[in-house]
Amino acid sequence: MRKFSALIVFLFLFVVGFSGIAMSKEAPKYIKVGTLYASSGPFAKPSTAEFKGLNFWVHYVNSKGGVYVKAFHKRIPVKLVAYDDQSSTATATTLYNQLITQDHVNILVADFGSVLTSVAVPLAKVHKILLFDVTGTGSKFFTPDNPYIVLCSLPTSGRWPYTLADFIISEKINRIAIVYSSNDFDQSQAVTLHNKLKKAGVDIVYYHAVPSNTSNYSIILHNIKAKNPNAVIEFGYPNNDIAFLQNLESSGLKFNMVFTVFPGQLFKLLKANVGVKALSYGYTYPTPPLLRYNKVNLGMGIDKFEKEFEKYSGKTPNFLNIAGYNVGLIIQKTLETSKKFNQLAFRKAIAGFSGKAFTLDGLFKVNKEGAQIGEMLPVAQFVPRGQGLKMNIVYPPSMKTAKAVYPAP
Amino acid sequence: MLSYALIGGIMYGLYFGLVGMGLNLIFGVMRMINLAHGDFIMLGAFLTYWLYYLFGFNPLIVIPISIVVFLVFGFLMYYVFVPKLLHSKDPEMLSFILFFGVSQVIEAIIILFFGNNQISVPSTIFAKLFNVSTFTLFGNTFPISWLVVSVACIVAFVLIYVYFFYTKLGYATRAIMANRHEALVSGIDVNKVSAIAFGVGIAAASLAGVMGFFMIGAAFPSMGTDLTTISFTIIVLGALGNPLGTVIGGLIYGVAIMLMQTYFSSWTNVLPYLLLIFVILIKPEGLLGKAVRNV
Amino acid sequence: MYRKKGIIYGLGITLLVIVLFIFLPNIYNNTSFLFNLMLYMALAEGLNIIYGFTGYLPFGYVGFFGAGAYSAALAILFLHFPPLIAVLVGGIGAFLIGIIFIPLLKLSGAYFAIANLAASQALYYIVANPNLEKITQGPYGISLANIYNPQVSYYVMLSILAFSMVTVIFIRFSDYGLALLSIKEDRVSASLAGINVPRERSIAWGLSSFIAGLSGGVYAWYVAVFYPTTVFSLEISVFVIVFVLFGGIGTLVGPLIGSLVLYSFYNFIGISTPQYFQLSYGLLIIIFALFIPNGILSIFEKRGIHVP
Repeated sequence: MRKFSALIVFLFLFVVGFSGIAMSKEAPKYIKVGTLYASSGPFAKPSTAEFKGLNFWVHYVNSKGGVYVKAFHKRIPVKLVAYDDQSSTATATTLYNQLITQDHVNILVADFGSVLTSVAVPLAKVHKILLFDVTGTGSKFFTPDNPYIVLCSLPTSGRWPYTLADFIISEKINRIAIVYSSNDFDQSQAVTLHNKLKKAGVDIVYYHAVPSNTSNYSIILHNIKAKNPNAVIEFGYPNNDIAFLQNLESSGLKFNMVFTVFPGQLFKLLKANVGVKALSYGYTYPTPPLLRYNKVNLGMGIDKFEKEFEKYSGKTPNFLNIAGYNVGLIIQKTLETSKKFNQLAFRKAIAGFSGKAFTLDGLFKVNKEGAQIGEMLPVAQFVPRGQGLKMNIVYPPSMKTAKAVYPAP
Repeated sequence: MLSYALIGGIMYGLYFGLVGMGLNLIFGVMRMINLAHGDFIMLGAFLTYWLYYLFGFNPLIVIPISIVVFLVFGFLMYYVFVPKLLHSKDPEMLSFILFFGVSQVIEAIIILFFGNNQISVPSTIFAKLFNVSTFTLFGNTFPISWLVVSVACIVAFVLIYVYFFYTKLGYATRAIMANRHEALVSGIDVNKVSAIAFGVGIAAASLAGVMGFFMIGAAFPSMGTDLTTISFTIIVLGALGNPLGTVIGGLIYGVAIMLMQTYFSSWTNVLPYLLLIFVILIKPEGLLGKAVRNV
Repeated sequence: MYRKKGIIYGLGITLLVIVLFIFLPNIYNNTSFLFNLMLYMALAEGLNIIYGFTGYLPFGYVGFFGAGAYSAALAILFLHFPPLIAVLVGGIGAFLIGIIFIPLLKLSGAYFAIANLAASQALYYIVANPNLEKITQGPYGISLANIYNPQVSYYVMLSILAFSMVTVIFIRFSDYGLALLSIKEDRVSASLAGINVPRERSIAWGLSSFIAGLSGGVYAWYVAVFYPTTVFSLEISVFVIVFVLFGGIGTLVGPLIGSLVLYSFYNFIGISTPQYFQLSYGLLIIIFALFIPNGILSIFEKRGIHVP
């Protein structure tokens, strides 16, 4: 009990001490960047990966003496304040509030994904602090009356299948089967794709939702086969994609085209779980590092980033590491260009470089509501090469590296 | 489509019979809800993965290893926790939170040591071993791994049956299940017999983990909670406290899931729970249970 | 005499809690923490009514919470009710669900716990189902950003907490509470003694679900944006049960202390040493279950200090 009260007193002093610093008008000693991550629970894997990317950015800018803050005309080191929300939204609410009201962070960065971002949106709005949303693509977050949110690393999920739909239409593939997990992220993609294809007169022969924790697709695959489609599109979370591809391989069924979401984002994870053969001739949305953006005007290009990140963490980066780093870059650019050191000035600065900044994650462009519209996700196909896989971008024509192998052999 | 769903559902259901088995055994003997049940399934899966990647062990070889390891583990765990719990005022409820703590600790340790990743052994490992990738039953083609898992489950059920009805130990176990106090009075070493049953329960859970890759996809540290919930459903559908009734519960669950996936895929998750409430209201002792409870 | 004293003490404690939560935001302005603390305290008292006094363990207690959150949100979105009334609708919604679940009370022990769990899961999957998107918005979740008001909802939460405490005081020190406890001890002799068993326990069940529903309603208002997984998370059930058991069941103060100690601990280790968070929390629960099985209050009781 004594220890506990000591802890409270300590925390109290800590808070008072830091709020004192934040209150002062002069340049702060540190730029405090506050964020949450999940070390356990369903979002732990992507969340920690994203967090690591952000950590890398902090490490990197601090090794250069900090980030340049235009409002104070000097470089200021970055200090990361991060708490563990255990994938729980209730805990996340408390901890976001901790960051805002106790730690008085200068920059607020959301945790991974829509669910853990959701609780931060109204909090940020009411406390008038700009929320740097990393991958929370939920459509409900972006409203005209809320200037306090910017989506940094992915387009809102409803926009994801735009190129996929165009690809299917341009290849004149008919008879499409769509199976999706019933959550915000996957359903919005399925709805977009369904509507776009319907409009173009493409036959959709199977269109069903399955629960998000579906772990066996054998029967579903069999039912899909009974409709004899040319292309099977599966929208799911990583778990769903893994189970789907595993079941597809062991079932011995063949389709001309199979599309899944996550091989393009978590290639190594998917490859380790389902193997090379199950991914061969499959389609996905490629994201960096599979997409190689080296012509950038903000931060490192992908080649350099991979090298530096490996030095830092001993691991090759995945997409979520890049998303975490990318949000750091947006913060950096914001501070570099914002004339004043306040939240609305930050938002204004972002509007200023939106559409002009090009990072290893692609073009950064947000609309008035803060939603990402610059990045778009091409369509790629994996083809076997030697023992491994090669990824070809097959659509849109402007980025195309090879013609799609359709139908799959 | 119907026959495919039915046959697939039976095989899927056999596996889920195994998933619920350990929970039911422990409940039957100790009247305790092992909230960490799903975490032991997860541990079985991680052991399989680990042995596969370090030594290239086929899951079939991992089966005996995991049975021995978890039998001993469960046996020891019984002595650490259960006798003390049984002395408390309300063991049924207290065990509930104790095992919640155990489940948290197991998940945390796995994350600390193995990281928070999805892991799998290749789904085609049996296809390579037996050199056939699918088999056909009444005109329906299924992956070979389903057959292997089904056979393994049936063998496990037969062994548990033999343990219960053809061994002295099983006789003593059943006596404790019927009435712990009377068993004690009649000279049975209740603690030792219960500890073994506890070990068997944990081992059965780990076995479900070994086989899990082929039925429920990749394994990950936080998979336990969901599996525990599903196991509850299954054991109540079958017969709470009667381990062999679990098989029936598993089969109902498996067939119901497959039928739902075929005809109303988005409602798949609701059905087992509605089924459960329905069964529990008309026949709370489970479909196979004897009407011994005064409700 | 004992009763009168108990009621006075109990009301005194309630007053103390109210005053405390009114003043705390001035010294510690992470109001979300305070809000969640009150939320768990209210839920713990609500669960205490059914579990502490009748022995029914509602494993799926979160079902009422979620039902309350969704009832309130739908009342706001479709009927344009003011938030305060919507919170009440949340309570009523959960209460109605409670009435539907009354047949479950025919079950005992683990059967009841599991059936209740299943009921809450079924509710969750129905609410989250994409086919009901037009009504519940399915997996897309709810946004009440227009009426977001953390200040007012904070005080509404406080009044719900006070309400739940007063309810527990009433039950604990009334004939009704005695009747419930006698049912808990022995159902058959209670009914022989002229107690209407089904009625009494249904009332407790209704009160318990009503409190969870109110809490869910105000939670929906407080967070403003939420998903079905947020308000039907089994974690909430488990937390509340653990808090109540930790403090001591069947008392007024036990659930409060359980929530205060464990939820604070949960938050502060999350902030100070996040990497061992889950591990230390799990170990704490194991140690407590083994060595202080009847709750913190049992330590006082053993020394002859009676706590309301």
